[in-house]
Amino acid sequence: MGSESSPQPSNEMLAFHTTASILTPRVGRLAFAGRKAISTPHYIPLGSRGVVPHIAHDVMRDHTAIGSLFVGLEDFVERQSQKSPPPVYTIPTAQDESALRKFVALPDDLLLIMGARREPPIQCPPSNTPNSVAIYTSVGFRQLEAGQYIDAVQNLNPDIVVGLADLVLGHTPGTKRRGKMVDRTHAFTTHATGQLYGSAVPEENRSKAAYFAPVLPLDNAQQSIYIDDLESEIRPYISGLALYESASLSAITEPLGDLPRLLFSAPKTPHDVLRDVSLGADLLTIPFMGVCSDAGIALDFTFPSAPNTTDSQPRHLAYDLWSPSHKTDTSPLSESCQCYACRNHHRAYIHHLLTTKEMLAWTLLQIHNHHTMDTFFANIRESISRGTFEIDAQTFQRAYVSELPKPTGQGPRLRGYQLPASGPNQPRRNTRAYGKLDDAMERFAESQSSLATPDTGAEGLEEHGFGAKQTS
Amino acid sequence: MSTATPAAPTRKPMPSALTFDLRAKCSTTKARASTLHLPHGDVPLPIFMPVATQASLKGLTYDQLRQTGCQLCLNNTYHLGLKPGQAVLDAVGGAHKLQGWDRNILTDSGGFQMVSLLKLATVTEEGVRFLSPHDGTPMLLTPEHSISLQNSIGSDIIMQLDDVIATTSPDHARIHEAMERSVRWLDRCIDAHKYPERQNLFCIIQGGLDLELRKQCCAEMVARDTPGIAIGGLSGGEAKEDFCRVVDTCTGLLPEHKPRYVMGVGYPEDLIVGVALGADMFDCVWPTRTARFGNAVVPTGTLNLRHRSYAEDFRPVQEGCTCTICRPKEQGGLGITRAYLYHLTAKETVGAHLLTMHNVHYLLSLMGSARQAILEDRFPAFLREFFGTLYGKDYPEWVVTALRGVGVDLMA
Repeated sequence: MGSESSPQPSNEMLAFHTTASILTPRVGRLAFAGRKAISTPHYIPLGSRGVVPHIAHDVMRDHTAIGSLFVGLEDFVERQSQKSPPPVYTIPTAQDESALRKFVALPDDLLLIMGARREPPIQCPPSNTPNSVAIYTSVGFRQLEAGQYIDAVQNLNPDIVVGLADLVLGHTPGTKRRGKMVDRTHAFTTHATGQLYGSAVPEENRSKAAYFAPVLPLDNAQQSIYIDDLESEIRPYISGLALYESASLSAITEPLGDLPRLLFSAPKTPHDVLRDVSLGADLLTIPFMGVCSDAGIALDFTFPSAPNTTDSQPRHLAYDLWSPSHKTDTSPLSESCQCYACRNHHRAYIHHLLTTKEMLAWTLLQIHNHHTMDTFFANIRESISRGTFEIDAQTFQRAYVSELPKPTGQGPRLRGYQLPASGPNQPRRNTRAYGKLDDAMERFAESQSSLATPDTGAEGLEEHGFGAKQTS
Repeated sequence: MSTATPAAPTRKPMPSALTFDLRAKCSTTKARASTLHLPHGDVPLPIFMPVATQASLKGLTYDQLRQTGCQLCLNNTYHLGLKPGQAVLDAVGGAHKLQGWDRNILTDSGGFQMVSLLKLATVTEEGVRFLSPHDGTPMLLTPEHSISLQNSIGSDIIMQLDDVIATTSPDHARIHEAMERSVRWLDRCIDAHKYPERQNLFCIIQGGLDLELRKQCCAEMVARDTPGIAIGGLSGGEAKEDFCRVVDTCTGLLPEHKPRYVMGVGYPEDLIVGVALGADMFDCVWPTRTARFGNAVVPTGTLNLRHRSYAEDFRPVQEGCTCTICRPKEQGGLGITRAYLYHLTAKETVGAHLLTMHNVHYLLSLMGSARQAILEDRFPAFLREFFGTLYGKDYPEWVVTALRGVGVDLMA
């Protein structure tokens, strides 16, 4: 064990040092030439239109440890006519410079991972076809052809590309569909790796991007022909595996064991994350972080457990800052947390920002939640190295409740590309921001809720120092 | 006249928590460069103050705001009074502690929002009567309430409650009454002010567009010796010529050794004309609001970055701009392009954050350059360059007239 380098250096840009173990937690180090190396297990922050939501580029640089980003190509390809390609394709770049990185103005040392779809992807009514997958851009649904995706990799030059897969969202595919999934994905992978790295491609034109081949969320037996091919013929071209459910971690065979595993399992809680790590996941995507930030929920846990856990009651994993109990609470989000938000602000302020719908609330929560997760993973890696991971994970299991709190407050205005397409007679996605230009309507809206309306009656207003009740 | 309180000669002396250090005066126009020493640091004047309405500057962290060079920003008393409310402000220890901002804060009195946002608000001698938006109970906001709230907020500069009405109102008698009432309310504000040694109360000159009323108001208010003086009731849709006349008249009557604040002004051309007419401080929500709508403020005007023509425009928002987002990566900036802002605007909050930073930085650095020009006594040349870039040779009439009045002829 302990193979210090991959037996087959499939991509000279990417080095992954780890043990080739399967179904056990493992630490490793993923180094892409010119980028910050990532110690694994770790999470990959999720991008939307090229940014981590609510975190401006300078905030990311100055106040977070974010060193990698996952982006979906569907965020960038609203237009797709031959005459006018999407703007991201037309940005002038230097030799070997990534057009995608330059377009979204991300730092040079950030590891950029591109997939076809955002994470989590939104279910598209049109279904995938033998040579395309359905995507959801900000202007609607479209088919992304396999050839177009290869063009995107060649033109945009991400560091890592997650191969196209025929996935079924929203329901369990039937037997026939599962067969198609395997056949199509097999074809996508064979075709793409051949086009990007094949011997027919002149050496200087081969893509520098590291290819992560998808493993389908199906039984091993169903995709065995595909997996066999990954182990043999395609093996020289792939640098990692992309998995779509935790169970797939057991589908990995010995010959693929030394490849980094990127997991899109949409964990619901830190407990799920620990389970995935225990099964050998290296890189995880964690949509609940952003969901919590939007909902005003601060993550509040440490691994294996909080330092001063004395009571037998399990602790919360996170708490809701919309709760009025934080109104005058000047303590940081988490005790002894060293993130930018906790060093500079307190719960009372973030509660205030949430109730006034100020954007800074979500920024500060994103910073805090990402920091909490950074620390969580650092402790996980230490624990694995110490050899105490299994015990520590059990301690965590006992120390914390099993679920994150349900969101109560209203988050940012949701955009079309962030929500499933609405059917007939569905309620509004967002509340109305403006009333009708009708005085009565306006007054009604004001009395219901508006920016300037206090959540209180005359007595409350008096208490707020906002004037005195008229007795006359 | 009848507005002065009979006890005027025995008025209590007004302490001041600021020093105003007049550094230079333009030898042609009425422009001044000065430094205002406030409890939370020094502020170079003339200055534009961005508006952090509800104790947050529209998505920016306070470090990002510091990086734009901001030394003094606004909070709105009306909004902070509703949320988080006086009890919370008292418990937390004021607005600086609430929002984690260690530089200066100015708060308005809440009167303007009261009248413009609330239906059925009526102004009486006692104060502003309005219906509680929640349950319709009649309420009253008095000058004493406003000052008490601003004392709880702890802002470095607080404003008197004034009787605000639109300058375009045709009711001259009402404008006259509002001016006189504002003077009487100033006296009540001065009496109610608990911390004059650490919070500076500014009076607000009213009087609509009637220069006679403005003069009377100046005389009355200057006699009350507040640490600073604001010119209020403007930028409510009046003609630019009228705006300039009022500012020009007032600054002509105000003492030289006090800061002069023109409220609610934010278009770059208005700021620069205001400076030429002798004003020192300005505030407006426009630069931050327009940023959220995808508009960038640049020397040639504004760019609507939601327009398709910017989709493949890979230049920075403003060539040569030194703000964080325009500076190239090699110079420690972010190297954000117009095309990327087109991609983000109105879709991700970060688009608003980035443009807000640029716009605030643009206005602050514009005022910085004006200040530098005044210090080096080349302000008239600065005016020519600024308006030349903004309008080409096609100057609006009001700018030409206003600047001619202070000795600069753009047409020459």
